[in-house]
Amino acid sequence: MDFFKSGLKTVLGASEPGQLPSGAETVERLVDRVNNSTLLEDRRDACRALKAMSRKYRVEVGAQGIDTLKQVLELDRADNETINYALDTLNNIMSPSQFEEEEDNPHVPMNIGEQFTEMFIKDPHNIQLVLDLLDEYDFRVRLSTVQLLTSLLTNRTKDIQEIILVKPMGVSKMMDLLGDTREVIRNETLLLLIKLTKGNANIQKIVAFENAFDRLFEIVSSEGYSDGGIIVEDCLLLMLNLLKNNSSNINFFKEGSYIQKTLPMFNTPSDSDDAGWSPQKVSNVHCMLQIIRTLVSPSNSAQIISSCQKIMKNVGLLDALCNILMTSGVPADILTETINTVGEVVRGDVANQDFMGNIMAPSNPPRPAIVVLLMSMVNEKQPFSLRCAVLYCFQCYLYHNELSQASLVQTLLPSSTDVSTLTSGQLLCGGLFSTDVLSNWFSAVALMHALIDNPGQKEQLLRVLLATNVGSTPVSLLHQCTLLLQQTTKLQSKVALLMLLSQWMSYCGAAVSAFLQVPGGVGYLVNQTCSNEHDDNEYLLQGLSAFLLAICIHFNDDSVESYTKDSLKQLLVKRIGVETFTAKLSEVSKHELYNKAAKHPQLRVKIPPEILIDYEFCRLFKVLESVLIQSVSIHQENHSSEDQQPPPEDNLEQYKTLIRQQDARLQELMQQLDGLMQQNNALQAALNDSIASNSLLKDENTLLKAQASAKLPSHHSSQSDQSSQATPGQNSQSSQATANTDQRLSDSENRVQALTLEVNRLTSELRSALDSKQQAEVELDRTKKAQEDMRKDQDDLLELLADQDMKINEYKMKLISMGQSVAEDTPAENELNLT
Amino acid sequence: MAYAYLFKYIIIGDTGVGKSCLLLQFTDKRFQPVHDLTIGVEFGARMITIDGKQIKLQIWDTAGQEAFRSITRSYYRGAAGALLVYDITRRDTFNHLTTWLEDARQHSNSNMVIMLIGNKSDLESRREVKKEEGEAFAREHGLVFMETFKRECLILTMRRMALRSVLSTRRQEALAPAVRVLAVQRAGAAVRCCAAHTERAKRG
Ligand SMILES: Nc1nc2c(ncn2[C@@H]2O[C@H](COP(=O)(O)OP(=O)(O)OP(=O)(O)O)[C@@H](O)[C@H]2O)c(=O)[nH]1
Ligand SMILES: [Mg+2]
Repeated sequence: MDFFKSGLKTVLGASEPGQLPSGAETVERLVDRVNNSTLLEDRRDACRALKAMSRKYRVEVGAQGIDTLKQVLELDRADNETINYALDTLNNIMSPSQFEEEEDNPHVPMNIGEQFTEMFIKDPHNIQLVLDLLDEYDFRVRLSTVQLLTSLLTNRTKDIQEIILVKPMGVSKMMDLLGDTREVIRNETLLLLIKLTKGNANIQKIVAFENAFDRLFEIVSSEGYSDGGIIVEDCLLLMLNLLKNNSSNINFFKEGSYIQKTLPMFNTPSDSDDAGWSPQKVSNVHCMLQIIRTLVSPSNSAQIISSCQKIMKNVGLLDALCNILMTSGVPADILTETINTVGEVVRGDVANQDFMGNIMAPSNPPRPAIVVLLMSMVNEKQPFSLRCAVLYCFQCYLYHNELSQASLVQTLLPSSTDVSTLTSGQLLCGGLFSTDVLSNWFSAVALMHALIDNPGQKEQLLRVLLATNVGSTPVSLLHQCTLLLQQTTKLQSKVALLMLLSQWMSYCGAAVSAFLQVPGGVGYLVNQTCSNEHDDNEYLLQGLSAFLLAICIHFNDDSVESYTKDSLKQLLVKRIGVETFTAKLSEVSKHELYNKAAKHPQLRVKIPPEILIDYEFCRLFKVLESVLIQSVSIHQENHSSEDQQPPPEDNLEQYKTLIRQQDARLQELMQQLDGLMQQNNALQAALNDSIASNSLLKDENTLLKAQASAKLPSHHSSQSDQSSQATPGQNSQSSQATANTDQRLSDSENRVQALTLEVNRLTSELRSALDSKQQAEVELDRTKKAQEDMRKDQDDLLELLADQDMKINEYKMKLISMGQSVAEDTPAENELNLT
Repeated sequence: MAYAYLFKYIIIGDTGVGKSCLLLQFTDKRFQPVHDLTIGVEFGARMITIDGKQIKLQIWDTAGQEAFRSITRSYYRGAAGALLVYDITRRDTFNHLTTWLEDARQHSNSNMVIMLIGNKSDLESRREVKKEEGEAFAREHGLVFMETFKRECLILTMRRMALRSVLSTRRQEALAPAVRVLAVQRAGAAVRCCAAHTERAKRG
């Protein structure tokens, strides 16, 4: 012992390295000691020393000691102190982070903790050892165990998740620790659970099943909701893990009325509140907003989204969120995320969209919240991410809602132009023609969303007139857009206008015709399409121009004489060529930003230059691309039949429902077929039986006939044999024989007749047997039904009885509480006995 | 939305016996003829009324495939009841009941209610397991037995299970006052002991 202690001291002090044992040697000696010493105290001291060395000599301790240490976990469980040293040592060895002590040691590989973890989990039993230690109540042991598991999970998340998943109670044990009254343990457990649940749906479901949401909301509430510390954030991060991409858990969250429980998180600090928005509060609320968005994310199933949206409205969550929008002093990133969240909460839900449309901002004069939001969108001074959020929110507000689309367009129409009040439409028009390129883009895209799947508004928007200069005649909005398209040099503005015009003119002959009348419009598109510049953005512009040109052809109603469908087509074939046109068109979907935009309804961009293509435009493009190519390449004669096709999305939907219906029908028919096959089998069997018995009878019959006829010919031949030398005596003898044969013949015939009768009788008997069998079956069915009804009745009675029992129980309880004594019998058991 | 009781049930049994269909019929009021194999577990919920009281049933539909058996085991402990399902047209699913029962009994609370369900009794012509056999098995193991394929039967089964859970809860509640006082006292003591730790312990 003494020797060892001084040895260690010199190693750690290391004043004269040359003569003293190296770290590796000391470690070796210590490991030996743990392995071989029979004295617990010795082993404990050696473990303590190993722990002390395990940071500086991580490689040595890990390489030599890992097996020994896990042995300690197994064999020395009775001694918490030893166990604890072993756990801490293991924790150091496998720590995912680098220690200060090893910073300048070049021999320590960067991923050393991960390598040791890999070694440790080669034997899955080792994880069981660690899990078993969770049962230990000792504070230090429990804490170290939780920390060790956290390190292990950090290093090899997937592997360890899979191991823990198959250990019965593995996950449940960790969940139990959330209830530990010692907050340190509870808090460390939160970190462990966050790692544990990352990206593993099965574990997420078990954790949810083990009442995680209840526990987490309890903690969040006890810590003061959004004003709580980092613990609140940890709880919310864990919830977020449980819900992300996990529809089963989302469903559970919704059904478990947890949406209601998020409400207090959104209490905004009042102006008088000193605490205000601390950084921690910002993080907490941000997390909570993420949770809400996970529930109504457009990537969830429509059913989940819509039921969550309804609940959010009903419990006042939407209201609370809108309140945040209207409150002053909210930090910009919270405001941004709240705008995104409100967007997704209303997206596609008419009632929620309506609610949002009716909110008034407390400005002077009061304005609709939507108008205030749009003011920010077209304001250069607002943060970029906030402006993007407003666009997304506004798109959500218009999504699948003809009314909100109409009311936006309405604000632009001459009749309603009230100069004194600022309207959404005016803001967007202002943005469209402003010098700020982002405002151009946001406004064009916003306007475009008012036209999606809405032929009526496409025509209404054609009526919008703009007064460009004082005194000059007003021009139409479409005209102005087309002019601007030709004039602007900015890429984002051009792309935005091309997208707006494409959406506007598709499925709308009137808009096409209006465009064709703008001087230079068609020429511009042809030139753009033919342009030969080489860079991704130029390709995109060429493709978009080709797209719009093809829309002019496909949706042309031949009302503009100079640009009929046919003449335009010829122009395209001559000036551009079908091949080139197709190639240019295909460039659009090759653009990097197109692919980014096509992934998700929300723009996910970080910097302004990344703004270029809109999600809904991608959808339009996907639907129309092949249709347009076909339309342009098809020979002129057979184009007319293609005019004014219903929108392909509709077709797709129709086909989908049709397929679904046919599927169901098919299923039904298959089942019918199944039943018929079985019936057929049974009938076939019966038929086989009667055929068999029939043929048996037939055989017998033939046999008898044969016998009978065998007699006849022999008789005839003898007759002819004898005829040459006929004598009267012989003759009489032969006539006697003939009579005999005749007699036997008629006997046989009689028998045949009898047998035929018998066959007939048997056949009819068989038939009647079958009949009665059928009757019996019908009877059986009826009895069965009656029996079932009776059973149901019995069940209902049982229930009634049990209900009564419950009441009796209640009364008994009351009696007991009033101090009466009651005879002891358990009604529930009676009910059990009855069944 | 408010409810008097909330119970968690699980549905177990071999793959393909129709567990997910049962859940869908119960929660969504519809039968889905084609259904994918369940991966892991799926959640469903429904409110029922007994004795004028709203009772919320949360139901976890587990995967019957062998590969998911260990995941299923994690769900026994927290469940108040289990629907053990077999398919009357497949004898093997009936033969495996013992294994399921062992698993359930080993990992669950002793007071978990188990209902045995012989499913697909609409396929009478393909029947391989007699109703009497199901009844006998249930009697032997103290389970409640039902053959179902109709929605009404299923709802009734669930109601009976819920009834049992209510009764058992009420019996526990009858004992509860005393227990609760104890629990509060103990919690109080713990809080005091840890007060010193707590301040240091909070990460921040
Ligand atoms: N005829 C009939 N078929 C049923 C019934 N219930 C389920 N099925 C069919 O049985 C098949 C399997 O049903 P599922 O509910 O997916 O089976 P499961 O038990 O959930 O299977 P796992 O998820 O793998 O455990 C489906 O094709 C159903 O159509 C029933 O009552 N009658
Ligand atoms: Mg299933």
